[in-house]
Amino acid sequence: MELYIENLHKKYDDKTILDIPRLKIQEGKITGITGLNGSGKSTLLNIIGGIDKEFEGSIRYNGKLLNKEIATNMTYVFQKPYLFRRKVYDNIAYPLKLRKVNKDRIEKAVQEILERLEITDLVNKKGHKLSGGESQKVALARALIFEPKLLLLDEPTSNIDPESIKVLEREIVRFNKETNGTVLIVTHNLNQAKRICDDIIYLSFGRVGN
Amino acid sequence: MDYIFQGFIEALKLLISFDPEVFKIIILSLFVSTTATILASLIFIPIGIYLGLKKFRGKRIISRIIYTSMSVPSVIVGLVVAILLSRRGPLGHLDIMYTPKAMIIAQTLLVIPLILGLTYNLAKNRGTIIEKVAFTLGGNSIDSIILIIRELKVDILVNVATSFSRAISEVGAVMIVGGNIKGHTRVITTTISMMNSMGDYPMAIALGIILLIISFGINSFIYSYSQED
Ligand SMILES: Nc1ncnc2c1ncn2[C@@H]1O[C@H](COP(=O)(O)OP(=O)(O)O)[C@@H](O)[C@H]1O
Ligand SMILES: [Mg+2]
Repeated sequence: MELYIENLHKKYDDKTILDIPRLKIQEGKITGITGLNGSGKSTLLNIIGGIDKEFEGSIRYNGKLLNKEIATNMTYVFQKPYLFRRKVYDNIAYPLKLRKVNKDRIEKAVQEILERLEITDLVNKKGHKLSGGESQKVALARALIFEPKLLLLDEPTSNIDPESIKVLEREIVRFNKETNGTVLIVTHNLNQAKRICDDIIYLSFGRVGN
Repeated sequence: MDYIFQGFIEALKLLISFDPEVFKIIILSLFVSTTATILASLIFIPIGIYLGLKKFRGKRIISRIIYTSMSVPSVIVGLVVAILLSRRGPLGHLDIMYTPKAMIIAQTLLVIPLILGLTYNLAKNRGTIIEKVAFTLGGNSIDSIILIIRELKVDILVNVATSFSRAISEVGAVMIVGGNIKGHTRVITTTISMMNSMGDYPMAIALGIILLIISFGINSFIYSYSQED
């Protein structure tokens, strides 16, 4: 999915948080967003992800404003993901259940994504009892499983050990290559951005710089 | 000190012998407080969820009103209901002052702010996050309501138990609108309060034991579920 942002303005109590006259995010690429704390990265993802509707300007997804179809084809993994108080299996299966996928296929898909992210050992644990890093892995699995056209990730590896970071990066890239899904990833790790991103956007006080 | 010991012995005798008067009091207590809690819950849990999730102007003021009213003293609720139901009051024609009905009304009004406030808080904090997650995973508004209820049901149950606990242990409201009439509107707390002032300890102790068992039971239920977190 291609993204086109025009005249985006976002304020909190009269303070401008985002001011982006024009920004294009290319389809099928991995775009990194980086910038200091408080520069507006999460706010930007909230707006693109349709969670925050209070802004000025327009965001077009393949030329269209946000609608139901677009919403079901994109997803957003929060920095501190919320997992359901059910087993990891049910957490990951949820998006497919919403899409009325049959049980056998759900089982296969969950098994596959667990193996890819190397988290099969978590399958029977309760979602709300996982550590921060484990939650991030499961939340990524829950996002990847339905192969969204647009994947928004807010510091997806912030609580994750170096070994697992490799795995997650590999799977994000694989998702991008195999499905041509667009990825927008907020990261503080410039090396990570260089490793996996095709483009990098630098946000500074709500403006795009370089 | 002997009279305390004697009081306990007599109290146990009353309980073991299933003294009809004692048991009538216990049953009425349970009936009034359960009915009040159910009535308040059925109507105000949905309202609390709705208000907590909904964005609207003046939400901050609403939050403040709800939180403040959670701590309203039970005698005040009793007094207001008594004024409304008294013979000359606007609802005097109903002729239900000093009846269990009046007590149910008073306790319902007493627990409404509590159940509303607790549910509202839950929906405003965790509920809105769950709503967002449902949206990001492709759910519509019905999917998100189902998910919210599923995720919050244990906490909601704990809130209901907390409200019941408040109802069954309060004395002010039921005393004022019930009048503590023997065989008619006497409940555990009003009886304890009266027996104590009459110096008749056995029945007060017997009912005190029952009230403690009920309270401990509810609180250990609440505790074991809140440990699920
Ligand atoms: N709900 C809010 N109310 C007021 N200010 C907010 C709110 N959310 C974020 N902000 C402010 O907006 C700015 C950008 O925040 P954010 O997008 O979270 O930054 P980043 O993700 O880049 O660290 C910060 O100055 C933050 O304090
Ligand atoms: Mg952030």
